Amino acid sequence: MKKFLAILLTLAMSLSLCVSASASGLEGTYDITVWVAEEIKDLTAQQIEAFNASNDAGIVINATIEAVSESVAATTMVADVELGGDLFCFPQDQFARLVQAGALAKLGVKAAETVAAANAAGVVAAAKVGDDLYAYPLTADNGYFMYYDKSIIPDEDVDSLEKLIADCEAAQKYFAFEMQSSAWYLASFFFATGCVSEWTTDESGAFIEVHDTFNSPEGLIAVKGMKKLVSSDFHLSSSAGDAFDANAAVVVTGIWNYETIKSILGDNMGVTDLPSFEVDGVSYHLGSFNGCKLMGVKPQTDPVRQAVLHRLAQYLTGEQCQLERFEAKSWGPSNLNAQASEAVQTNPGLVALFAQSAYSIPQGQIHGSWWDIAKVIGDDVKDAEDEAGLQAALDNYYDKISALFQMSDAEKNAWAVIGTVNGTNWDTDLPMTKGDDGIWKTDEAYAMDAGTEFKVRQGKSWDNNFPADNFKVEEAGTYYVLFDEATGEVSLAAE
Amino acid sequence: MSVSKEVNAAPVKRHMGLRASRAMANTGIYILLVVISIVWLIPFFCILLQSFRVESTWQVGYVIPQKWGLDNYRNLFNTDFPKWYLNTFIAALVTAALQTIIVLCMSYTLSRFRFKMRKPLMRFMLILGMFPGMLTMIILFRVLKDLGMVQANAVPGLILVYIASSGMGYYVSKGFFDTLPKSLDEAARVDGATRFQVLKKIILPLSKPIVIYTVLTAFMGPWGDYVFAQYISFGTSSGMNVAVGLYNWLNQDQIAKCYTMFCAGGVLVAIPVTVLFMCLQKYYVEGVTGGAVKG
Amino acid sequence: MKTYSDLEFLKLSKGQKILYKFQRFFAAIPTGLKNLFLGIGRGLKGLGAKVGEEAKDIITTFVHGDWKTKLSYLVMGFGNLARGQILRGLLFLLFEVVFIGYMVLYGAYWLGMLPSLGKVGPTKSYNEIYDVYVTQYNDNSFKILLYGVLTIFFIIAFIYTWRVNVKQNKLAEKILASGKKLRSGREDLRSMVDDQFHKTLLALPMTGILIFTVMPIVFMVLVAFTNYDGTHDGYYNNLFTWVGMDNFNTMLSWTSGTGSGTQSYAATFGEVLSWTLIWAFFATFTNYFLGMFVAMAINKKGINLKKLWRTILVLTIAIPQFISLLYVGKMFAKNGIVNGFLMSMGWIDKALPFWEDATWARITVIIINIWIGIPYLMLITTGILMNIPADLYESARIDGANAWQQYSKITLPYMLFVTGPYLLTSFTGNMNNFNVIYLLTGGAPTNAAASSAAGSVGYTDLLITWLFKITTGAESKYYLASVVGILVFVVVALISLVVYNVLPSIKNEEDFQ
Repeated sequence: MKKFLAILLTLAMSLSLCVSASASGLEGTYDITVWVAEEIKDLTAQQIEAFNASNDAGIVINATIEAVSESVAATTMVADVELGGDLFCFPQDQFARLVQAGALAKLGVKAAETVAAANAAGVVAAAKVGDDLYAYPLTADNGYFMYYDKSIIPDEDVDSLEKLIADCEAAQKYFAFEMQSSAWYLASFFFATGCVSEWTTDESGAFIEVHDTFNSPEGLIAVKGMKKLVSSDFHLSSSAGDAFDANAAVVVTGIWNYETIKSILGDNMGVTDLPSFEVDGVSYHLGSFNGCKLMGVKPQTDPVRQAVLHRLAQYLTGEQCQLERFEAKSWGPSNLNAQASEAVQTNPGLVALFAQSAYSIPQGQIHGSWWDIAKVIGDDVKDAEDEAGLQAALDNYYDKISALFQMSDAEKNAWAVIGTVNGTNWDTDLPMTKGDDGIWKTDEAYAMDAGTEFKVRQGKSWDNNFPADNFKVEEAGTYYVLFDEATGEVSLAAE
Repeated sequence: MSVSKEVNAAPVKRHMGLRASRAMANTGIYILLVVISIVWLIPFFCILLQSFRVESTWQVGYVIPQKWGLDNYRNLFNTDFPKWYLNTFIAALVTAALQTIIVLCMSYTLSRFRFKMRKPLMRFMLILGMFPGMLTMIILFRVLKDLGMVQANAVPGLILVYIASSGMGYYVSKGFFDTLPKSLDEAARVDGATRFQVLKKIILPLSKPIVIYTVLTAFMGPWGDYVFAQYISFGTSSGMNVAVGLYNWLNQDQIAKCYTMFCAGGVLVAIPVTVLFMCLQKYYVEGVTGGAVKG
Repeated sequence: MKTYSDLEFLKLSKGQKILYKFQRFFAAIPTGLKNLFLGIGRGLKGLGAKVGEEAKDIITTFVHGDWKTKLSYLVMGFGNLARGQILRGLLFLLFEVVFIGYMVLYGAYWLGMLPSLGKVGPTKSYNEIYDVYVTQYNDNSFKILLYGVLTIFFIIAFIYTWRVNVKQNKLAEKILASGKKLRSGREDLRSMVDDQFHKTLLALPMTGILIFTVMPIVFMVLVAFTNYDGTHDGYYNNLFTWVGMDNFNTMLSWTSGTGSGTQSYAATFGEVLSWTLIWAFFATFTNYFLGMFVAMAINKKGINLKKLWRTILVLTIAIPQFISLLYVGKMFAKNGIVNGFLMSMGWIDKALPFWEDATWARITVIIINIWIGIPYLMLITTGILMNIPADLYESARIDGANAWQQYSKITLPYMLFVTGPYLLTSFTGNMNNFNVIYLLTGGAPTNAAASSAAGSVGYTDLLITWLFKITTGAESKYYLASVVGILVFVVVALISLVVYNVLPSIKNEEDFQ
């Protein structure tokens, strides 16, 4: 029976080959290397076999599949693109770095449309630089929530950080939440109070500006909450699932630890969204990053090979393959159809993740150095002795974030025009210079139509900008823009 | 310079008080040595015990397994571990052979010959040794890449890098050669032997401790190399050595499944080196004391 | 500062002696530095004079030489061939042919590109048929730098060989004029295992060192003057190019450029350097004294099972560090078995912050390093201790010296004298002790003030692990790593130089034959 099927399959394949061979121009055998996580290595091999059997372009993939952990794949790719895997998987925080390193091939126009339509919007945004899509969404489960040991933590305490800490201290068990070595986890407290860190890149993937409100009254509330946790003797800075086998009662981590924790705790495993903390009588529900894993295609010099790899990547990140990964390894799909399936909707781990997603923010593009800069907040907060110390931790953070763009004080203080002026579209700062009279004036005069809108802002940041509502040009003409720093008044001067 | 000789072997007149206080002192030393031995052995015992634990595969907060078994060792053979082991073994063996030849050539020459460039050469190598080797990793990697000795072919590449600069490590064996009397060579030279014959017939037979010392250190090196081996295997499992392969199991996505296997692999890696070391310890000590301190 | 004569020195009290030695040590630093620069100056001057001499000799050889010699200036080895030294002549000729061939085919290109390090970066184009973006790679800055350096090496080798070729002609003319015969190829071969045997022996090791140590170091030093990093990798994204001293200015400037609060690289470097020195000091001397102590304990008369004790200790050498250190590191985690044990015994009621607190972490790495280091020191000192003449102790005992006096008056001075050079290499080795720090802490805990420095620095990071973090960090700033590497070299070289110049016993020991 099996043999018969195989023959039938080969027949069908060769038939389809004959039919479409000339049409696709892609037929042939391709030796490629695929880097995936160890746990989906075998599954990926099967999926590529299935691709070979089902594709209508006559493509035969001869894949060498290497187990390369997603967290190291990017570092390895960046070290030498040529030797890297043709297809490789990586967590989203490495995306910008890979684009800049030239390790990701941009998706074609049609492919980009298909992928964007099929996947959750937040995930698609994560794979974009500007309007261009550079990678294929693989999962949408890269977030964290809370696991706890029901034999120690009463169910009614799971919504309160303070109660959880008290329970852990009473039982001499650890509350594991990675606060001292990971910005990804400690951002949770900041998102709880509504702080944001939003970064903008230019089209090469280089970061050009940031809107960051961690250093604010809300940020101070966040670190006060964090202080409660990190100053506990039973706080453990870890996100390892097996911490439950080493004296932990609560672990904040992701879906990838589900199986491990299940086998340690058995029926005592509790899974839920993150708790809330209370500062000055107000309760703040902990937020989280809602991220994804992506699959990238290495740039090729041969268009045919490039097209083949894109097809394979599209297949491997399609609905069917994502569902297979979900069934085999509980990887949460990013594909909208797959997400809607009942099995996904009822998986306990994913349910907790979805519950948490009400409080999570999509993880956009973030500067690679942010992770290093932000992760020390945990240590700083732990060492802080009073509110001034907490504020100092935030100041320290803010200084280093602003320093990333290497702006001199002069640049930080400089005003510029941004808007729909001179063919730009709110993406370019047109420089101004301060005159002897203290009035800032654009370096050139620009031709403006009636209805052109712009603002004047300081240091390429929106912290200080004028006027409050966009300035609207009423009469077409060629103008200099004038700005009075003292009064905040914006005006036009004809050439 | 035998190991069993003692510091104060000369006979001393003894009387009771001295003997009693010496017995006290010795008891103290015995206690100290037992404590030291325990401290030194605990980590190895723990690793050994973890490798026999079968009730779970991740890290746990206790030491004694609840269920014992050989599963971890058996599972090793379903992974690429045998391949990594073989890679490392080959690299260690070839490195041991070639590196010994190179180091001996270098140290013998610098110890026995007097030529114009000798002093500048030694000074030059001393200065070279002050550069942090880590820095040259990127460029060595690219050179090996151009030579096609990376990824699946990493083993020859590793060997090449291990041996290429091994001439810089001539100090210990030069110190050893310095202790051999020069009159031996001169007598043979007078009898008409060439320099080569002197080396072969006179010096080498006397050099057993230093040859074994050099072989042993060269053989041990490749088992522990992680950083560079990681770089040039470049994500290709078949080109990894044991250190890289095992270390990868400690990545966040694998540690829960592979931790006890990591311990079992560690035990297997330690066995050949330990056994070899135990057998040749005597020569190692002679080599190291004969050469290390003479500079 | 007063300089004492030997006699005056002996009269000083113990404390004064130590103080005096310290003063001498530091007082000698400026002199040592001065001598260094003078030495460099003399070397350069000597080099200039040497070049002049060589040039003169080349010209006079040409003027006075016969036609065979004159032709050899153009066709290397011609003189040898014409005078019957076929083997030598052919080797010279072959080398010239290979050199010219290489220069025409490749060398000229690499040399020509070296000043710019490449002109055209990779380009992308859209292919409509397949709906893909295709990349075309062009110049490769990395290769240009690499092969440019190699080409320069090759040219130097050629000039040297050419010079040897000229010299040989002069020598051959002289020998023939005096009526003697020239060496035949067979005699040349025989001399390779006899009076030229050292060249044969050194050929292979030195080639290896030249290609795999010298060339990479030259390359990496040059990288410090470029902007080679993750976003300028020279081939796949952007080309890199020369930036002059910019990187050194960044690293060595005390102002952070961006003002307010952010630590400058120089300050970070200073912090890491001072911890590196503290670490190297403790790692070296704790191991040294404790290792010696353990060796003496095992060697002591009346202690049985000597071999067993040694074997137990030596296990740590035999087992690869990536296994033992990783495990030991985890033992000391907050929820690791050490804390678990201490808590279950009721000795502590909260976990000790072995890796969480900067001071704790620093002390813990030093202590764990003792665990690694003692066995080596035990092995090394065992042999030396046994070499101390027993009658020294005998006569000391007759004079009524107690154990401590015997140790401080006999054992220690002897050991320090014999192991002086070892201590120095061990100190510099510990400064670059990558494994212990990387495997135990990975540099943690993080240093908040220095977190914006490339790769984020931790309190236990040494310069060498920081360097590694810079290259593998988010921005892969190879150029910065290269600057750090050069500075590490400078520090190590300075320390070695000062120690060599100040401690005469070490200097003599180095020349000990």
